[in-house]
Order: sequence, then C-alpha cells, then structure tokens
Amino acid sequence: MTSAKQRIRPWMVFAIAAITLLLAYEGWLRFAPPVDWSDEELSQFASLWIGNLPSLPPDTSNAVADNPAAAAFGHQLFFDARLSANGMISCSTCHQPVRHFTDGLPKGVALGESKRNTPSIVGTAYSPWLYWDGRKDSQWAQALAPLEDPNEHGSSRLHVLSIIASVSDYRKTYQALFGAAPNLEVQEEVDRAFANIGKSIAAYERLLLPGEARFDQYVEHVLDGGDHLHQELLSKEEIRGLRLFIGEARCTECHNGPLLTNNEFHNTGPLSAPGELPDRGRIDGVRDVLADPFNCLGLFNDDPEPSCAELRYVRTGVELIAATRTPSLRNLKNTAPFQRKGQTATLAAVLAHYNKAPLAMIGHNEATELNLRGWELRALEAFLNTLGAAIAADEKWLHAPEKGVRSDSDGENHGD
Amino acid sequence: MCRFGWLLFLVLSPVAFGHGGVVEEDDLCVIKIGYLRAHFKIYVPAERQHQEYCEDIPVRGDSVFVMEYQHDGLSSAEIDFRIIRNVTGKGKFARMQDVDAIDDLDAITIRYEPPTVVPDVYTLLQPFEEDGEYIGIISARNSDTQVVYTAVFPFEVGYTGLGVWPWIIAALFALQLSYWFMSRRARQSTNTLALLAVAALLAPYSIAKAEESWVSDSGYFTVTFRSELQPLAINRIHSWVLHVEDRDGNPITDAEITVNGGMPEHNHGLPTAPQVNETSKAGDYKVEGMRFHMRGYWEIRIQIDVGDQRDSVMVPLDL
Repeated sequence: MTSAKQRIRPWMVFAIAAITLLLAYEGWLRFAPPVDWSDEELSQFASLWIGNLPSLPPDTSNAVADNPAAAAFGHQLFFDARLSANGMISCSTCHQPVRHFTDGLPKGVALGESKRNTPSIVGTAYSPWLYWDGRKDSQWAQALAPLEDPNEHGSSRLHVLSIIASVSDYRKTYQALFGAAPNLEVQEEVDRAFANIGKSIAAYERLLLPGEARFDQYVEHVLDGGDHLHQELLSKEEIRGLRLFIGEARCTECHNGPLLTNNEFHNTGPLSAPGELPDRGRIDGVRDVLADPFNCLGLFNDDPEPSCAELRYVRTGVELIAATRTPSLRNLKNTAPFQRKGQTATLAAVLAHYNKAPLAMIGHNEATELNLRGWELRALEAFLNTLGAAIAADEKWLHAPEKGVRSDSDGENHGD
Repeated sequence: MCRFGWLLFLVLSPVAFGHGGVVEEDDLCVIKIGYLRAHFKIYVPAERQHQEYCEDIPVRGDSVFVMEYQHDGLSSAEIDFRIIRNVTGKGKFARMQDVDAIDDLDAITIRYEPPTVVPDVYTLLQPFEEDGEYIGIISARNSDTQVVYTAVFPFEVGYTGLGVWPWIIAALFALQLSYWFMSRRARQSTNTLALLAVAALLAPYSIAKAEESWVSDSGYFTVTFRSELQPLAINRIHSWVLHVEDRDGNPITDAEITVNGGMPEHNHGLPTAPQVNETSKAGDYKVEGMRFHMRGYWEIRIQIDVGDQRDSVMVPLDL
C-alpha cells in the first residue's frame, strides 16, 4: 500500500509536464516583452492617429457653417431652455459638456424618454450620417429634430421662431445672419427659418473636435522613431491591448481612421433592451433620411449645386436590418453606458459581447466570435481607456454662454 | 395499416390541415403563411439572452416574436398577429379548423395586432404572465391579389415536462463535443486559410494602384480606371472615371456598365450603391458614389454590356 502511494507513475509525470507546459505557454503569451511593431502595424497606427485627421471638411449645405457670429448664436441656442415646450430643456440637458456631450443615461431623458442612447457631438462634423440609424445627413438637419420631438424639447417651429423674434439679441443676430424675419403665414419661409436655427447650432457644434489622447502621443513617439519599450506613455498591458485592437480583436474593421469610426452601419447583434423590440436601425433610418425634407437634396441646402453623393448613392437592402452607425471610440470613459439603447453598462460587457458574437435577434450579426481570453479582454479595455482626451475646442464653448441667456447647465434636470 | 399511416401523416405534417404553420427545416425554424415563408424565432431576452426558440417558450416574461421574411411578398402584405389561449383540447395538434370552430375568438385572445404593413422583418413583444398552452394565428393579405393566407401554430409557455431534460442534457453534451471538435477543425482551417493567403500574396498577381488598365475576362475590352481621390483612402466618398476601349483601342460608347464589389474575406459588399454614367468624352464613364469603409483587400467588379457583348473585369484593391 505504501509503495503504491509513493511510487511516481508515468502518467503523473506526463500530467505535471503537460500542466507546466500549459502554464508556461499562457505565461509567455501574457508576459512576453512586446516585440517591435511591424511595418503593417506602424501603418495602422498612422491611420488611427489624430494627427492624420483631415482638416474640417466644408459644409457647403450650410452657408453659415464657418461663420463665427453663427457659432456664437448657435452656442446660445444650444444652452437655451426657452426653446422647449416647458422652458426646462435645452440641447445641453442631454448633451452635457462635462460628459463629453452625453448624459450618462441608457437613453436620453428630457420631456420623456428618447428612443436611443444619447451620442456625443464631438467630431460629428466629419460624419456623413447622424443618429444611430443615420436618419439625418447633416449636423444642421439633425439639430432640428430634437426641438420637435415630443420626448425631447417637445417644441414646434413656430414656438422656436417666436422666441427668436421676442428676444431682441436673437432677433438682431438672426437678421444680420439670414436677413428679414420669416412670414409665419408661409410654410416654406417657416421651414427655411427653422433650418437656419439648425444651421446656427451646427456652426457651434462643428467646433467640438476630439483632442490628442495618450494613444496619439504614443503613436507620435513611435512614428518619430522613439523607443517603444522605454516610454511612459502606454503601459505594457495597454500595449498588449493595442496589439489586439489592431490585430486579433479585429476592432479596426469598423473602428478605423483617426475618429475610430467608419461612420458606416453594422449589425453586431446586440440583445434588445428590456421591454423593447429589437432595434430595426438603419433599415428604417435610410428610408427616413431619403424622405427628410431637410436632407441634402431638399429645398434648404444652401449649395446651389449640391453633390449629395452620400445620399444619392446610399445603399439600401436587408443587410441594413438592425444595423447602427459605428460610434467613435474616443472618450468611452465619459460616454457610458454603451450601445444603441445604452443597454450595456460597462466596457467589459461590450467586449464580452463581441468576444461571443451571438446570432443577431433580427438580421445578421456581421461580427464573428473572437475567442479571446479574459486577460486579453482586460488588456483591450485598458487600451480603450487610453483614447480619452479633453475636447479640442476653446474653453468658452464648453459651458453655457456667459451672459444674457438662461440655461440649465447643471445638467441634473431630467424633466421626468 | 391505413389508420396508422393516417396518424403518422397527422404527426409529421403540421401544415396539412392549416393553411400554414411553423416547421423546422434543415435546423431552421420556418413559418409558412400560404406560399409566403419567413424565418421564425422567439426570444426571451431578459431570461435567456440570445437563445432562440422555435415554438415553445421555456419561461414566462417578455417574449419577442421575430419573422424574417424569405419572400418579398411579406414586405408589402398586411400582417395581423393574434395570440389566443389554446382551449381546443387538442394541445400541440390544434389546427386551423379547430380555431375556426371557436365561436368567440376575442374572449380568449390575449393579444391582437391589427393588420399592418411591416417591411423587411416583423417583430412583436408579448409579456406572458401565465404559463400555459397558447395558439398563434398570423394572417397575411397579399397586396396584389388581396388573398388572405393564415398560419396557425400551437405553443406552450413555461413547459416543464421532465421528459425534455434528459434530451437537453444529451444535446448540450453533444453540442459541447461538436464544439470542441469544430473549434479544433476551425483552427486548422484558419491555418490553411492563412497558408492560402500567403500563397496568394506570393502568387504573381498585383493589386491595383489608384489608376491602372485591365483587360476584361474574355478579352473584349480594356478598362482603365482613375480615382478622383488620390491616393485611395477609406471613409471618403469619391468618383472614378472608367475609360473603356475595344481590343483595337477604339473607345466604347453607349455601354451599360455596373459597378459593385466588396471584401471577399469579410463577406460584405460596398457600403454604397455606385452609379455609372457615360460622359461626353468618348469611352469615358463616371462612377459616382464610391466609398470604402474598411482597410484591407477589396475586389471591385465592373460589368460592361455593349449590344450583345457582355464582359466583366475584376479590379483588386488594397487599402
């Protein structure tokens, strides 16, 4: 009996060797020093680097897009709660500067609850499509919709224009920018004046651009030929996450370019939000944008010869079922909770979803299973947190205008 | 014998007496509403996340019914959806005529969605508060002929029959085994794919630059393309100009040209629907609405029709 206890059997040796090898392999994967970046990886870095963000494209559909007076006017309107039905809601109720122009809620709450998660405004001047489902095709057309949404401002064109007419500063500014006040009996004049309000707000929103993140500093350092091992910009874990981000985790298939979004529509199979039907996404958004009177091909485009290439050559079809616009990954820390309905509270849960890539409830999940290990997901999460940065805009744009305008800049007023 | 055959027919063909119902075909749950078909599934997201069910729902709670149309006719049809308590006494074997025999349908209806046209995919959220037997009745009115087709499917909510569990456990075990097996196979095939990709890279074929000439597959045409965006980049909408010549270098006019393409490795197409128009310069065609939304290997297929000649050319691009 004792000899049986003490004898080392061959299978034990084999098992111990196997376990040791397995642990060594896992350890090597996890703790191996980073190797040099390949040329392909360096070219990926350059493509994601904020320094390669092209200068702001002109918005020819908006004649006042780059007019400083319009931006100042739009800034005032953005924070002005008088434009809402109950005088309590402004754009900044949901788009709070301190939260990177989001609200920290699953879905926006103003007069009622919005349909989807409040997206950030930062960098949207570069996007051909606005909203999760892309139902608007310019910043100015987008800015109009919440004003008339019964769950948001709950206002109307006539109410908004009456405020412009009754506040003397607004009236003067409007007339200096757009000419005579509209005849409120003529629908087209009302619509045009309403569009002008959106164009002013867009002139302000265009100025909100993403700043340089720690990741960008690292890229600059590495592209300049700096030693990628001995630097204090990214930790080893963050670098491991970065390697996964541009490689095995396949994030850059959609989150590409300096804004880390292709602004395209993809179905990634999220679970429907509690008590809600699965979100139909782009399949409805594309119909809405084509029918929108304020779209690029509409009457209120200021460009006499608009190209409207995005709208004219827009893709339709069943692949768009449940697809939503790829969000930027810059500043995730400030823009939680995540996904179209804000149904996912943490970044870890989002990554776990992509790791599994379940079949979509409606339509087809374009993502495929990643099979990453737990520590790899944590490294990826650590990397994603290096993409946060202050907004690259003059400090004065990041809070309510100094004087003359009532505001609810505390952002705590959620209306109920 | 005759009687047994009859019984077998009854059991195996749930659509025999209705005008349609829910059946499993090749592991796909399908609802047949007359000749109209849709992929049918039910979710209980809060309890069972992405798990899909074909008919019976294991737990109470918010259930999401999904019909993904396999026939365009459903996109334009008026569809109505009714859920009733199953009082037929026939359980799983309740059919259309059993439903027809019910006098007061409204009295046992727990959910009714009136006829609506819902394009592309139909969804319905039903919060089931009680376990039990139910019948779903879905009708679709053909928008051209006005003929109404109906599907009837009995189902249970909160089925707990002990008899099912051993099967589930066995199935799970089999699934796990096949998963191990598959993932091993998948890894191998990835390796093979990687090898193939390397081989493809080494093979003597080149990737197009932003401007290059190609001879079409059957040799009828020479196609030169020039991108107005130089160099090519992702996420920017732009135009191309195609110049098409015949074998002798004469420009081809009045051609019908279509442009599409995609990323074969990712199994998706272009993010836009480009359009081609002939320009005033002989043999030149403008392609508007080109955009690429991902770095990597793209293939653009250009099809040219002139008279009864048809030929196409594939342009490989690396972005």
